[in-house]
Amino acid sequence: MKHLRAINKKARRVDNYVASLGEDVVGLQNNQNPTPQQRPHVPMGCALAFSPGWEVDSAGGTAGLCQPVERDIYDCYVTCFWPSQVPDHLNNYPDWASKCAAATKDWRNLDLVFP
Amino acid sequence: MGAYPNIVMIVDTTDGKVLERIPLVTGLPTGLRLSNDKKTIFVTTNDHSGVEVIDIATRKVINHFVLNSETHRYRLNGAAPDPDGKVLYATTTEIIKHADRFEIGKPKYTVIDLAQQKIVKTVDSSSAQGDTPDAGGGNGGGAFEVSPDGQYLYQFRNQVVVMKSSDFSIVERIDLGRPDDPSEDSLSLGGLQEALSEPGQRVTLFNFSDPIVHNKAFGLAHFDLNTRKFEFTAIGPAPVSMTNLRVTPDKKMGYTVVTEGTLGNKRCEVWGIDMGSSRLAKTSEIPCRSRFSFGMSPDGKKLYMYGAGFEIDVYDATTFQHEATWDLGNDMRGGMIGVP
Repeated sequence: MKHLRAINKKARRVDNYVASLGEDVVGLQNNQNPTPQQRPHVPMGCALAFSPGWEVDSAGGTAGLCQPVERDIYDCYVTCFWPSQVPDHLNNYPDWASKCAAATKDWRNLDLVFP
Repeated sequence: MGAYPNIVMIVDTTDGKVLERIPLVTGLPTGLRLSNDKKTIFVTTNDHSGVEVIDIATRKVINHFVLNSETHRYRLNGAAPDPDGKVLYATTTEIIKHADRFEIGKPKYTVIDLAQQKIVKTVDSSSAQGDTPDAGGGNGGGAFEVSPDGQYLYQFRNQVVVMKSSDFSIVERIDLGRPDDPSEDSLSLGGLQEALSEPGQRVTLFNFSDPIVHNKAFGLAHFDLNTRKFEFTAIGPAPVSMTNLRVTPDKKMGYTVVTEGTLGNKRCEVWGIDMGSSRLAKTSEIPCRSRFSFGMSPDGKKLYMYGAGFEIDVYDATTFQHEATWDLGNDMRGGMIGVP
């Protein structure tokens, strides 16, 4: 929102109020809980990212993923940790991976599902 | 070790050959746990919240059942068997399927009877423990251990919580926290058994912080599950994450894998800890896997990096040199149990 600029008194008062919320800087300050760096917006949870084949790590990149990425695919439904879309193993498609012992080698054996 | 899609593999630790694949009835294994008499293996499965018991001698499944029904589902965490192997203590989250929605229940302490093949007792964690129950949070509140007399439960999380097994009421809290373990996930069976050593005793790594500066440090704790006494020796500053400790059969050395940094900046080191002096004896950097579990051969001579794939990387426990990569043919899941 840095491209917005206050142009009247009321807007400037809002700006000043927001600025006043920041804490003062003091000598020898050692902030124990620094404001976390803003991170990319990644839809969390397997069931929220409706982009088949799209997989990123918690920083929005791919450096934290397994290599190759097929190593991660099963954890999308076991721990539901990685934000990518896989069939709903627990409720509707319990057998979608039953023909695939090693995802890296046999991913073609994974079942397609059509919800 | 457990593997996709629904098997437990028996692997020869001399050459990595898969001797047998034991098919499970109830689905994908999420955790394995050796019974106290070392004759059976308890397995929890994912698909229908199943429990299976494998007889080690015959390599057959001798008992299996599921907790789920048409309208009730459970998430099972941190299960541990009683000394007789008749019941499992766990935390469960019940999910009730209504006509128009799923209702997610609060975490409950649960007793599962293996003969009756069902949940025989649940205790609401907040009623048992007041406003700050220990059953919630990541990993269902932490793994359980049961004292040899069956009287007490130990739950290992950001504290060690000692409870009565009869009603899950808290007897004692000990301010030692388990380090973050990259291999831990939300579905687990078992606690510190693999870190052990002798019946009634547990040896593992813990984090603690001093009350003034709050510097986090890690150290080695010896627990006596009978007397609820522990002995803790600080070793050094706590790293970002550590795996469970693996102790050699002669109890002279323990090993862990330490991770520093995150994502693309991650570094991994194997640490060898002299169990006699509780001091760091040797370290060596090894290639990181994004996700991994850490294991040790039953004779304590080899270290294994495995998980998130079908391969086990084998390292020599003395030199920390990579020796081999075993292709097991199935993606691995759950823990590794060494049986002599």
